[in-house]
Amino acid sequence: MMARVRDRLAQLGQGWGGLGLWWLLLAALALYPYTGVTHLTLFLGSQVFVLVTLASNWNLIGGMTGYVDFGHAVFFGIGAYVMGILVTKSPLLVSPEWGFLQALPVSGAAAAIFALLIGLPTLRLKGPYFSIAMLGTFVAMREIVRVLRPLTGGGVGLNLPPVLNRLGDYYLMLVLMGLVVSIMWWIRRSEFGQSLIAIREDEIGAEMRGINTTLHKILAFMIAAFFTGVVGGFWAWQNTFIDPDVVFIETRTVEMVMMSMLGGLGTVWGPPLGAVVIYVLQTVVWGRLFGIHLLALGILMVLLVLFLPEGILGTSGRGGGTSIVRLWGRIRQRSDP
Amino acid sequence: MDQILQALANGLLLGGFYAVMVLGFSVIWGVMGIINLAHGEYLMIGAYLGWGLFRYFGMDPFAALLLILPLMFLFGYVLQYVLINRIVERPHLMSLLITFGISIALANLFKILFTSDPRNVSVTYNGSVELLGITFPIVKSIIFGAALLCMLGLHLFLQRSRMGKSIRAAAQNRTAARIVGVDINRTYAVTAGICIAITAAAGAMLSPTQAIFPFMGPPLTLKAYTITALGGLGRIPGALMGGVVLGVTETMVSRFVPGIGTNLGVAISFVILVLILILRPQGLLGGLRPVDPEAE
Repeated sequence: MMARVRDRLAQLGQGWGGLGLWWLLLAALALYPYTGVTHLTLFLGSQVFVLVTLASNWNLIGGMTGYVDFGHAVFFGIGAYVMGILVTKSPLLVSPEWGFLQALPVSGAAAAIFALLIGLPTLRLKGPYFSIAMLGTFVAMREIVRVLRPLTGGGVGLNLPPVLNRLGDYYLMLVLMGLVVSIMWWIRRSEFGQSLIAIREDEIGAEMRGINTTLHKILAFMIAAFFTGVVGGFWAWQNTFIDPDVVFIETRTVEMVMMSMLGGLGTVWGPPLGAVVIYVLQTVVWGRLFGIHLLALGILMVLLVLFLPEGILGTSGRGGGTSIVRLWGRIRQRSDP
Repeated sequence: MDQILQALANGLLLGGFYAVMVLGFSVIWGVMGIINLAHGEYLMIGAYLGWGLFRYFGMDPFAALLLILPLMFLFGYVLQYVLINRIVERPHLMSLLITFGISIALANLFKILFTSDPRNVSVTYNGSVELLGITFPIVKSIIFGAALLCMLGLHLFLQRSRMGKSIRAAAQNRTAARIVGVDINRTYAVTAGICIAITAAAGAMLSPTQAIFPFMGPPLTLKAYTITALGGLGRIPGALMGGVVLGVTETMVSRFVPGIGTNLGVAISFVILVLILILRPQGLLGGLRPVDPEAE
């Protein structure tokens, strides 16, 4: 019985049913503000959407392609800074409200271009070497931004024009999240996505079968970077203040990695689920204990690696059910002498 | 000319510290194939131990090494036995994630315990001596000497002792070592113990020269990685060479390129790192094993 349920679930995730359910959920979320909610709820909602979008993006390069990116927040930071610079310094933009929507795709594009430039050398590195190179990119970029004082304001940071529009923020992030997750769903079904997974499983083998691995890796990296940059730009606008320490913060990468891992690396619905679970854990369980958030995340990460490396929804490549099913099986086996 | 010599001397002294800081990282990587992302946090723990013993017991940071070394050996041994040994033969990703998790947990544990205020250890012999027109800060010179001693000790241990031979055997071929009767789990635990002890000792030696705070780790991890890539995995002379190259480059750049503070050291090491990884993935000298896993 369990097996059949699991098969159905897997099919639901891959097929149109999964996307249909997702769009239903989006529609429900789009109607949600009409039930008369406060600004705070809208703000928290857009925060959750940000997390889901970030986790899905990270999953594209870290989960599906298997290139674990420990510096993905660098694209977030670049997006945020491009937004900040464009709306505060650029003489081309007259009105800030208009400037925001103009600058949003630009911040994504800047991140994507940076991904192209940094990906060309670093994506040639295999496995852990890529991870560290990206961690290095991240740490180095924070220092570079701090030094480029005339452009970025250095350690003082930039103040963006404060425009309070919680409803607009909510809908913008909702659309962005819906778009990103739908794209991930499409990528997972498409030949492009299958090639990415082939690269993850056996890069040399994939190359032998005629997949242009460099092109695929760079493309995946750029897509992930683009949307991360857009989210970064949005975040900068919403937060109205950026400096190197709030934008280039390790926490953001850690959260992306954790959410994807918890939900299941390489799955479409895993990262969104993981994002929601971690957000709820964070606000309900350890949010009240000041400062314990990252400690808990670190410990959770160690525990996940030891006991649930495939995440909640993850299926291992070689058959077998989701980890939850297998964990359940193991517990039953243990209790049966 | 004097300025160049002075910068060179400063870089050399910094390089000595880098060399001892990187030893543990390099040997753990060379022996177990694990890139230890929590390396900087072990340094941080060592620095806090040095600070705590100085602040509350009035112990000199260098004398405190006698206490810190065995303590952190135990810490490393237990950590390896309980956590890392369980994932050492799984894919690289798992060891990366678990050490990343440990690093975050440790840094934030220390933030909760000690707040993120920077701490200082001010020793009485904080001056400097002048020799041939070049100033040598006393503390940094002591660190340099201690670093050389550490390297010599580790070298002798790995080459001469029975355990050292087991460690090298496990590094060359885990399966073969197991067949001839090397207890891999214990060997790894001892390796980790020694490496983490030396790393923490380096952290404690660092404490008189710079401010200590919980998040000092990641840049140091990155530098350790760069130096290891420069010098080759698990090679002690390589560690010294890589450390000196990075140290001299950093001091030269911060001294002679205008408008750049020492903070950019991280960016410099990153540039060096990417160049090395692309141009010479086996390191400048070669080592216990190549940096590029494809050649394994």
